Amino acid sequence: MKIRKPKNIFIQGAIAPSFIADSIQHHSSKTQIGGHSIFLGQVRSDEIDGKQVAAIEYTAYEEMAQEKMHEIREAVIEKYSLTCMHVHHSLGKVNAGEICFFVFTSSPHRKAATEACNEMVERVKAELPIWGKELFEDESYQWKVNQ
Amino acid sequence: MSVTVLFFGPLVDVTGIRTLILQQVTDTDSLRQQLHARYPTLINAQYLLAVDKQITKENTALKDNETVALLPPYAGG
Repeated sequence: MKIRKPKNIFIQGAIAPSFIADSIQHHSSKTQIGGHSIFLGQVRSDEIDGKQVAAIEYTAYEEMAQEKMHEIREAVIEKYSLTCMHVHHSLGKVNAGEICFFVFTSSPHRKAATEACNEMVERVKAELPIWGKELFEDESYQWKVNQ
Repeated sequence: MSVTVLFFGPLVDVTGIRTLILQQVTDTDSLRQQLHARYPTLINAQYLLAVDKQITKENTALKDNETVALLPPYAGG
């Protein structure tokens, strides 16, 4: 089994659309890939008690999150025989409308990529020690709770 | 013997700090007791403990220089 080094999943601030485009470009040499599945999490402007969420500020127990992510990556890559998988999550402030979470799975055939991507999204939400402060337009905030 | 305690998410609002060094704490039950005495709002707060990045739900003995993190419910992804 291939031994992969733990990857850094965190990016300061929003994930730029160009980063996503570049990731796609970087895979064009891996010609055994037939399908990619991509999930993008975007900061939504929820209305809470008459106030709009303007941004989310993310913090994490980074060391623990990187280790946990490595465990989950290895398990999911093996389970679905993926050619490749990339996961990135923002730290710091991300404005409403910007991308804060990026999962990108690739496999020879589409079903593995789609199912792996879905599983990764759920596992990241459930298992990574990441927290978010929802910042309102008036500079007050509340802590995000995952549904 | 000392242990580093890390606070995350809403718990930083409760304690006002991100890191604390505790002396004379030999297991996670006594760590909780000390923290609850210092920060009574923690008593009703929801969190899991991770000792050296491993979540532990039962009383766990602590070694010198270990790190214990208080992890409120996750909100990433």
